[in-house]
Amino acid sequence: MKKYIKRTIFILTIGLFGIHGCTDLDEDLYSEITKDSFYSSKLEVLQAALRPMTHMQAWLAPTGGNGYYYHSELSSDQLAWPQKGRHGYDGGDHFRQHYHTWTSNEGRMRSAWTTMWGGVGYVNAAIEDISAIEDPAALEMTQEEIESILAELYVLRAFHYMKIMELWGNVPVVTEIAQGAPTNPSTQSREEVFEYVKTELETYVPQLPKYSADLVGRTTQTAGYAMLSELYLNAEKWVGTPMWDECIAACDKIISGEAGGINGTPKLADDLEETFANTNKSAPESLYQIAYSHKAGFTFDWAGFFLGYTNMQEVLNIDYSGWNAFVVVPTAYDAYDENDLRKKDWFLFGPQYKYGTEEPVLGTEEWNGQPLVYVNSIRRESEGDMTSEGSMAEGEENSGARFNKYKSGMVGDENYRENHYILYRLTEIYFNKAEALMRKNGGTATQEAVDLVNASRQRAFSAEDWADEQYTAATLTMDELLAERGREFIFEGKRRTDLIRFDKYVSGTWWDHQPTNDPNKEIYPIPSNQLANNPNLEQNPGY
Amino acid sequence: MKTILRKELVFFTALFCIGIAQAQITVSGTVSDAAGPLPGANIVVKGTNNGAQTDFDGNYTLSGVAEDAVLVFSYIGFKNQEIPVNGQSTIDVTLQEDTQALDEVVVVGYGTLKKKEITSAVASVKAKDFNQGGARSPMDLVQGKVAGLNITRTQGNNPNSGASIQLRGVTSLKGTRSPLVVIDGIPGGNLDLLQQDDIESIDVLKDGSAAAIYGTRGNAGVILITTKKGKAGDPRFEYNTYFQREFVDEKPDYLSASEFRDLISQGVISEDQDFGYNVDLYDELIDKQNLSQYHNFSASGGSEKSNYRASLYYNDANGIAKENGREQFGGRVNFNQRGLQDRLHLQVNMAANFNKANLLGGGYELTDRGDWDKTTGSDFEQAIQRNPTAPVYNEDGSFYETEGYNNYNPLSRLAHRKLERDQQTFSGDARLTLDIIDGLSASAFGSYVRNTYNTRHYRSTKDWDQIRNYQGTGYASKFNYLNWSKTFETTINYNKTFGDHTIAALAGYSYQYSTTETFNAYNNGFTNDGFMDWDLGSGDALYNDQRPNPGMGSFKEDNRLIAFFGRVNYSFMDKYFAQVILRREGSSRFGANHKWGNFPAASVGWAISEEDFMSNIPEISNLKLRIGYGVTGNQGIPNYQSLVSLSTGGVYPQYGTFYQTYGARRNPNPDLRWEEKKEWNFGLDFGVLDNRISGSLDVYNRLTTDLLYDYFAQQPSFVHDRIYTNVGSLRNKGVEIVISATPIQKDDFSWNVDFAANSQINELEQLSNDVFNANWLEFAGLPSPGNLGPAIRLEEGGAVGNFYGKRFAGFTDDGKWLFYKADGSTGLASEMNENDLTVIGNGVPKYQASLNNTLTYKNFDLTIFFRGKFDFDILNTKDMYFGNKKWLPNNLLKSAVTTHDQLDDDPQYSDYYIEKGDFVKLDNITLGYNFDLKTKYIRNMRVYITGRNIATFTGYSGIDPELEDTGFEPGIDSRGFYPRTKSWTIGLNVGF
Repeated sequence: MKKYIKRTIFILTIGLFGIHGCTDLDEDLYSEITKDSFYSSKLEVLQAALRPMTHMQAWLAPTGGNGYYYHSELSSDQLAWPQKGRHGYDGGDHFRQHYHTWTSNEGRMRSAWTTMWGGVGYVNAAIEDISAIEDPAALEMTQEEIESILAELYVLRAFHYMKIMELWGNVPVVTEIAQGAPTNPSTQSREEVFEYVKTELETYVPQLPKYSADLVGRTTQTAGYAMLSELYLNAEKWVGTPMWDECIAACDKIISGEAGGINGTPKLADDLEETFANTNKSAPESLYQIAYSHKAGFTFDWAGFFLGYTNMQEVLNIDYSGWNAFVVVPTAYDAYDENDLRKKDWFLFGPQYKYGTEEPVLGTEEWNGQPLVYVNSIRRESEGDMTSEGSMAEGEENSGARFNKYKSGMVGDENYRENHYILYRLTEIYFNKAEALMRKNGGTATQEAVDLVNASRQRAFSAEDWADEQYTAATLTMDELLAERGREFIFEGKRRTDLIRFDKYVSGTWWDHQPTNDPNKEIYPIPSNQLANNPNLEQNPGY
Repeated sequence: MKTILRKELVFFTALFCIGIAQAQITVSGTVSDAAGPLPGANIVVKGTNNGAQTDFDGNYTLSGVAEDAVLVFSYIGFKNQEIPVNGQSTIDVTLQEDTQALDEVVVVGYGTLKKKEITSAVASVKAKDFNQGGARSPMDLVQGKVAGLNITRTQGNNPNSGASIQLRGVTSLKGTRSPLVVIDGIPGGNLDLLQQDDIESIDVLKDGSAAAIYGTRGNAGVILITTKKGKAGDPRFEYNTYFQREFVDEKPDYLSASEFRDLISQGVISEDQDFGYNVDLYDELIDKQNLSQYHNFSASGGSEKSNYRASLYYNDANGIAKENGREQFGGRVNFNQRGLQDRLHLQVNMAANFNKANLLGGGYELTDRGDWDKTTGSDFEQAIQRNPTAPVYNEDGSFYETEGYNNYNPLSRLAHRKLERDQQTFSGDARLTLDIIDGLSASAFGSYVRNTYNTRHYRSTKDWDQIRNYQGTGYASKFNYLNWSKTFETTINYNKTFGDHTIAALAGYSYQYSTTETFNAYNNGFTNDGFMDWDLGSGDALYNDQRPNPGMGSFKEDNRLIAFFGRVNYSFMDKYFAQVILRREGSSRFGANHKWGNFPAASVGWAISEEDFMSNIPEISNLKLRIGYGVTGNQGIPNYQSLVSLSTGGVYPQYGTFYQTYGARRNPNPDLRWEEKKEWNFGLDFGVLDNRISGSLDVYNRLTTDLLYDYFAQQPSFVHDRIYTNVGSLRNKGVEIVISATPIQKDDFSWNVDFAANSQINELEQLSNDVFNANWLEFAGLPSPGNLGPAIRLEEGGAVGNFYGKRFAGFTDDGKWLFYKADGSTGLASEMNENDLTVIGNGVPKYQASLNNTLTYKNFDLTIFFRGKFDFDILNTKDMYFGNKKWLPNNLLKSAVTTHDQLDDDPQYSDYYIEKGDFVKLDNITLGYNFDLKTKYIRNMRVYITGRNIATFTGYSGIDPELEDTGFEPGIDSRGFYPRTKSWTIGLNVGF
């Protein structure tokens, strides 16, 4: 009997516990994939190599993120996000950008840091994986194709570092991604970061393909030389080494057509709209662009920052709306002459009408039920203040001129919202070269510099006005060059870099902003949560 | 064939002959207790399934009783009594109350224990003690009944809202924070499958030494729900029903149209804001005719060898908001059989629920996959802020829209939208138990639970959003969800008593697989509303790229849990008790190096009152000390966090054609492991004066370490800004006390009092380790407009639920805010930065208490139940936004022109809006009457009327001080809300 019981227990035990024998806890993936099942074709290699581009637009383009664009524009003299009554206080974030009173605990700056370093991570991950491809032939690729894609990624990484360095100066340089355990890289000096960017660009830009219609949206030679042009132009400010000749040479690579172009050699747009229109994927000025397509499901959506509420839909005959956020500060709008065509073409200003009619669109906040009229002031006019300079705290729904540089077209247009975001365009190369020539010449314009600036300025004036408005070597002073840069590149996310290079960022006065005269403000503090997390990071001086 | 038939006939005839050969009599009598007759007591002829039940006067009649039979008399809460018939035809019995109630059975997971054997912190609530009235969820039945179990319904009786459940405070940052629900042994059971009349008991494993048997999922506690089962005896029917109506409890104090006009005439509001109508939008949104009904019909019976219980129900639950309801029906079947010489026992349960919910009313939010996420209460935000002079309709009968940021006409949405969910839930389980030898048994248990639903959403061509953003065409979306899990468990039990020693041992294996699949699709460009979402392909956005893109999505994930577990209970002379538990469990969710974890627990109990020296103190009838320590885990985080994988990153062109891009899905963490809680529990059970006063006291201290959280990752070099990892620790400390007393116990009048209270402190001890450091975590971001920042900050060393913001320093002469700067000076809002913020309140109640009074007089019974929460703060965001003249031209709360009249500045978050939230609610009042029917057809009948949430006593100025108080965002009274209600229920229970 005992034996019987024992046996029963034994069988039961085996039976009960053993029938599964199942202690397998491996995970099965369904809606994501492993690397083992990827990188099997050129298509997939490029799908990985282009992941950083869809990420980059989130911090570089004005698409609502708290990245490079937000900080570059709101800390400068052209755009502001004032409080508009109950809207837009946003924890005081935008006040502190405008007043340069930020701390190392700014939520939006934390986001800028994480998104931009996330971009570096995507590039590094792609480089790591693509470098590991041993047999390109198995993917029906050549080794040259692999190397060209890698060169594109090296240049893209250097571009990320250039932009990171612009905001924070002294940062680590990493070329690998962390898996599980953090690597906690150490801060390197701005000079070291600069040197890294310079070396990478100088090495790999010549290996890039030339820009062509086929490669729209990719990082090609025109993009690479534009980056080099920017790096050299700012070298004196960033690391104390003037590099005017190098800048001019890089500009010439583009101007000459040697670096390629979408339709042959890049050329200046004939008018003020072509470069920003919903057909701008083939804009002849474009050197580097984020390729969006509303039809393909990837829309350049600037509405959050730049567009008003739903009442603006009737004005532009569109089906999207924004946060009524960024406005043009009065002094920046005043910087345009009345006959400057850009002042009309690139802004929404004055009374707003339902599209194609004279019927006013009505306000919904301070001007609820009354016609919506954008005014060149940021003050409580609805409460009778028609005279003060106003302030960041005193905006209203109709304060300030508004963005209208990029135009999406109307509902029903064939290319509705097909706009690309242009990162570098030929006009900037002209300005860079002109500035290098002037700086090389002791801050005085040469005729070549004057011609370069006039080439684009001419678009902004009627033929009758042009004779009075064109620059001469005498009128194109350094201050005037900065002002014209501002007028030409407004909304293009470049103002902070320019102000810093012209030493106006911490010493300038504009509208509600008083200078801090603190050179430490030219770079931002490292976010305190990152400092706490990585003991090898060093805080920037003055924070 | 013929032969066989004949043989059977002979056999049955023989049986029949044997049957009538014995002398049989009819026995009758009365069963009573000390207080009088006992209705509903059971009488069974021992060894047969011949039985009867006493009627309302305690009388019974039992026929066909052998003269030498033995009758067994039983009644819940009383000791069984066996009486030999010995030819008597009248047997009156007085049952002895099982006063100590210590033989009461408590469910502890994978088995039961007697109450006196419990050594850990376990609470048990039986059906008779449940909250009365209509329950929207089974958890409503025990709200306030279990000290330390916090059940909060911030949306009152919205039939589509759940209760947030938290036991002994918050124990996890990102892991599961609500207790594991186990229904009849199925871990992770679905509460939809339970109806209030099908539940036998709800048991709660509170501390680690009890919950460790469910190791990996035990951190937040375990709630064990046992359903009613078949019982031997006469076939019985039960019918339970109620009808319920909701009434608005308190309306927000906004300006009426005439008050709005008064302000226009005073010049506070501009004249163009008078649109000439008088509208109370709040009233328009209320369904005054709401009526909920519930019917549950059950049948049970069978023999000792095989018995069953089956129930069917129908429930139509209507919320106070229009277009807000849930209709459901379903059933539950239990079947039990013993065989193989009583050695083999099979139990089978099946339950199903079919429900259809109207999710439109009250305002809603969808997930990014198009599933319904929650009722937001945004419709009622509009009710407060919409201009009361604005009409609802235009003259042409279309809806009038007040244009403006965050403005919409909720009645237009109710008319032009459809949002419904159709859900089916099924659960089936079977347990086969074999008694191998005396004391040794083995059992195998399998279950399958399937939950599937479809959510449909349609916005018609007349909907305001469609007119503006979709060129006046309709929009339709569908979302399908399927989750199923299978569980297989095997256990071996061994119970043996050797003299004074009793041992009960259990060993088992558990396997659980769970998977979720979703599918969704959406389209627009519907030019006709006739199809709604039933012809998704007819929307021309599929072909017209001028319309917003249509889309679709699908998703699947799964995970597995595998465990080996054991438990040994030992008792000596019924004085000394000990329990040891060990569960070793593995989860697929964790890193390759950390799949498995061990969860041990030990506890001891000492029945001091059983000691000889206690016999000198007869006043003390029960005194028992319990001490327990246990380790439990938490695995409630998303799947796959330890893995390297790629996922899509949006499209980008390759040579002119847009293709998907792929990049790193996450920062993988191969070292991801369990969150672990270690808990001490000290308990004391007591009873004095023959247990007229009894109760228990528990003190606990728990530390959850290796907190799972998606921490800020070091960038560089991580790709993503967060990584799921184990950092930090949370400590919860608390005291729980339960006291029951019977102040009056007379023949026809009795009064019982139950009091439960707890105090609890939660602190984040650590948020960093040597690898990951975070300064603090932020919660409860204040909404647009204004985006005034996160309201709550959780700092290392700080309490959970701290409000963190500016300190009010007064107003300037022209009514602008002044706040304190860190250095003590004052400044305007525009001058404030991070360094000027500080802790300004806390939203977690430190004390909770409930008091239940049950009075019975003859056939009447009356229950009065109070519930309260104390010592916490509320951020009154309604007042912050609506109580401010700057909110114009939207409508205002009256406080804008009274309390806050001096204010002339935009809303700002500061301690100015922090208020004390302490409250007491008269939560349930029930009057019942048991009919005394002289009929053999009806066994028992009871009618009752219940009022819930009848009165709230509080100093809080807002609508209702009972807000979310679990998790990390407690104490925020949001702009949007779902009206809290008083509800009145009339119910009937009949047994026949």
